Amino acid sequence: MSEKLQQIINRQNKTLSGEDTKIDEVIQLVGFIVGDEEFSVPILSIQEIIKPISWTRVPQTPAYILGVFNLRGSVIPLIDLRSRFGLEMIKHTEETRFIVMKNGDDVAGFVIDRLTEAIRLPKRDVGPAPETISESESMIDGVGKQADRIITILKVWKLLERNF
Amino acid sequence: MDEFQEILQDFLVESFELIEQLDQDLVELESRPDDLDLLNRIFRVAHTIKGASSFLNFDVLTHLTHHMENLLNMARHGDLVIDADVMDVILESIDLMKALLTRIRDSGVDSGLEISACVMRLDAVANGTEAPAEAPVATPVEEPKVVEAATEEDADYSGMSEAEVEAEIERLIAARQVEDAAKRAHKAEVSASAEEPDYAGMSDDEVEAEIQRLLAERQAEDAAKRAHKVEEPVAQKAQPAPAPVVAATPAVPVKPAAAPAPRRTEAKEDGESRGGSSVEQTIRVDVKRLDHLMNLIGELVLGKNRLIKINDDVEERYEGEAFLEELNQVVSIVSLVTTDLQIAVMKTRMLPIGKVFNKFPRMIRDLSRELNKKIELEITGEETELDKSIVEEIGDPLVHIIRNSCDHGIEVPNVRLNAGKEEIGTIQLRAYHEGNHIVIQIIDDGKGLDADMLKAKSIEKGIITEKEADGMSEKEAFGLIFRPGFSTAAQVTSVSGRGVGMDVVKTNIEKLNGMIDIDSEVGKGTSMKLKIPLTLAIIQALLVGVQEEYYAIPLASVLETVRISKDEIYTVESRSVMRLRDEVLSLVHIGDIFEVERVFDNSEHAYVVVLGLAESKIGLIVDSLVGQEEIVIKSLGEYLKGIEGIAGATIRGDGGVTLIVDVAALMQMAKSVKSTVGQESAESKGRSGAKNKPSDYTVMIVDDSKTDRTIMRKALEPLGITLVEATDGVEALNILKQGDHMFDGMLVDIEMPRMDGYTLAAEIKKYNKYKNLPLIAVTSRTGKADRMRGVESGMVEYITKPYSPEYLMNVVKRNIKFNEGL
Repeated sequence: MSEKLQQIINRQNKTLSGEDTKIDEVIQLVGFIVGDEEFSVPILSIQEIIKPISWTRVPQTPAYILGVFNLRGSVIPLIDLRSRFGLEMIKHTEETRFIVMKNGDDVAGFVIDRLTEAIRLPKRDVGPAPETISESESMIDGVGKQADRIITILKVWKLLERNF
Repeated sequence: MDEFQEILQDFLVESFELIEQLDQDLVELESRPDDLDLLNRIFRVAHTIKGASSFLNFDVLTHLTHHMENLLNMARHGDLVIDADVMDVILESIDLMKALLTRIRDSGVDSGLEISACVMRLDAVANGTEAPAEAPVATPVEEPKVVEAATEEDADYSGMSEAEVEAEIERLIAARQVEDAAKRAHKAEVSASAEEPDYAGMSDDEVEAEIQRLLAERQAEDAAKRAHKVEEPVAQKAQPAPAPVVAATPAVPVKPAAAPAPRRTEAKEDGESRGGSSVEQTIRVDVKRLDHLMNLIGELVLGKNRLIKINDDVEERYEGEAFLEELNQVVSIVSLVTTDLQIAVMKTRMLPIGKVFNKFPRMIRDLSRELNKKIELEITGEETELDKSIVEEIGDPLVHIIRNSCDHGIEVPNVRLNAGKEEIGTIQLRAYHEGNHIVIQIIDDGKGLDADMLKAKSIEKGIITEKEADGMSEKEAFGLIFRPGFSTAAQVTSVSGRGVGMDVVKTNIEKLNGMIDIDSEVGKGTSMKLKIPLTLAIIQALLVGVQEEYYAIPLASVLETVRISKDEIYTVESRSVMRLRDEVLSLVHIGDIFEVERVFDNSEHAYVVVLGLAESKIGLIVDSLVGQEEIVIKSLGEYLKGIEGIAGATIRGDGGVTLIVDVAALMQMAKSVKSTVGQESAESKGRSGAKNKPSDYTVMIVDDSKTDRTIMRKALEPLGITLVEATDGVEALNILKQGDHMFDGMLVDIEMPRMDGYTLAAEIKKYNKYKNLPLIAVTSRTGKADRMRGVESGMVEYITKPYSPEYLMNVVKRNIKFNEGL
């Protein structure tokens, strides 16, 4: 009898906490296209999004680091995400944007092909990253499922980590 | 608690300032032991620190300074002659005092350091002369009250009756005598006499009377209740030799009253002596605030640069419009004020270099005792000011250089005498301004640097090869002392000789964008000149262009710029060099350093920026010189930090980012960069044409000796290339003129009849077509002058006979760009 009771209580607890997630744990993301895929990063990690401006090449760096640019007096590195993801670099278009992301004191600008939209996603719709890539190397934080599509959520700290 | 912290901070700042002056004073004192002013000053430092530390309950520090003060006081009264041994003890105690203060600063407590040994030595020195002095024993006890703490103390005690204490006095003096006889009293005396600053002005009688009165008062006051309490602190303080209570009693109660009081008077005195008659008004500011201010100024300078640029653009577009003049005025006022503001803020960060220099007299003193040499230090220009951050960085390099001068430079006295020099060696330390730089010169009159010895030593240690050594000028040889792992001291001493140090000097000076210049004459001495920019955050830079990129080079490192024609660039052993007056300057193209793609290159001329850093020089080839600009150094941030060759970035007037060249790193990189200078793609294409088989390569051998020609032919035949022979310069020139062959390279003997190799080379280079034809000298002439002449006449390589066939083959293959795949 007491076992049954315990089960009921457990079930009730689960439902309760489930409801909690529904209300509280919504993550807000900004989606963008690089190549053919849609990626996203948490909105709070974005400092600002600007139209392309001129930058200065920095020698002795990997090809995906385009250089540095001046953001109102700060010198900020500029990274091409296409190249970072192993895709071919293309000429910037009308829709190209620089997303300036920050994580603590680390700040960098990332070149993306175009923006899509701001997304609100319940946390339970976020699945883990595919296990084909080793956890420490992966830049993917998780995969967000929406009705008609899936969105890759990127680890901002990983993007901002120097790896050369 | 906060209030205490504040007081503690003030105490530390004050103490460290006092100590800084102290070292210098002490060393001076040794040479002028009877300088009363000096003694008084030193005494006051010990006294002030003692007073403040007892107030702040730093018992250990109080205890130590107390004994120092005592000793110094004796010296001040002529009871003790300060000789080198006494000085050693004093210096030791001062070092200990510094260590204690550092501990207090770092951890807030003054425990953990062993001072009793030092205190004992202090006492031993003091004791040696003190023992017989009995009558004065009582004197010290009360004197401080008389003058230092004068009014307060008087007021305090004046209300008491003399009669009350008459008996006490008698007893006390008696007790003191007994105890002295037993020789155990000196501890107590020490504490007692410590309270005795300078009251020489008083007559003996006055003093005597005063003592009696005060002693009586104090004794009466304490007699019943407090004598008991007092015992404990006394016992603690005088631990090594527990002091009899009776003797100590009068001393201890004095302390709390006397100590703070002298501190106050001291502060006043100090202020006066420092500022002279005009009262200096100062305010302490946190360095962080100044740094912040400097950053803001930096932004302002960038804004100003931008404004000037916009003004120029506007001027161009709206020429002749009325508002332009107004705009012009505003812009020039803003830029003027900004510059003034910048200078003003920079000045607030300036410190006199004396702050660094002050520690050297002490160091020289210690070193000369340690090394048994006689060395005198002359300091000039210690009031020269430079940025705080630089003052902090310059200390270590100077220590190393001066240590080096003492250890390696100045000889021991008898060697000096034998060499006909003064027995006492002199090291001069000078500082002065030169434009936007400060120059620090360290000159010794020691044995000087011996270039040949330096070379030999370096070869032995594997720092350079013999070949490198041959090609070295005297200055370059002097520079060897900055190589890591180099040390000329036959013996490793504690002073130097471990082979670290001078390379640290170089690194530190380079970090400051400074230059080192060494001059030396064997037997006469050595002079080292450090040239350091005044400030680090905002610098003057030379902007240079390569293709479509711009780079900023700190002007401090630019010696000169020259415009040369590309003919003046020679290649020696695959390195580019040029001749600059009487020097050979190695060259590197900025594009090779920074991986700039060279798309177009149509100019016959190149600009060479001659860079000098520490003691090395290099020529940097750039496409264009843009001009000089004031730039603000910004970091590239965490993500891009540590990029080789880049010191940072700056924002230009147009809002773009320009990278700042790290000259020190660039010089390092230049060593490993392959030269592409003078190998213009278009020309090499025209010359080499299509090479499909080895025999498409044609090489001419020019030598008057049949044997030599055969040796060369035998060496090169395995390559399968076409070989053409000529017996002298004239014949070779004729073959070239006929144009039957397109040559890829020539092997040229130097000594030949009719026309020698140099002349031939010079003749060949007159033809545009053959300007880039690699000429390889094959000769038995190996002198440096010959090589240089070869380079000047256009030879790219210099092979000395005899050589191995493989070597010759490799040199030829490299120069004709032989394609192994054929």
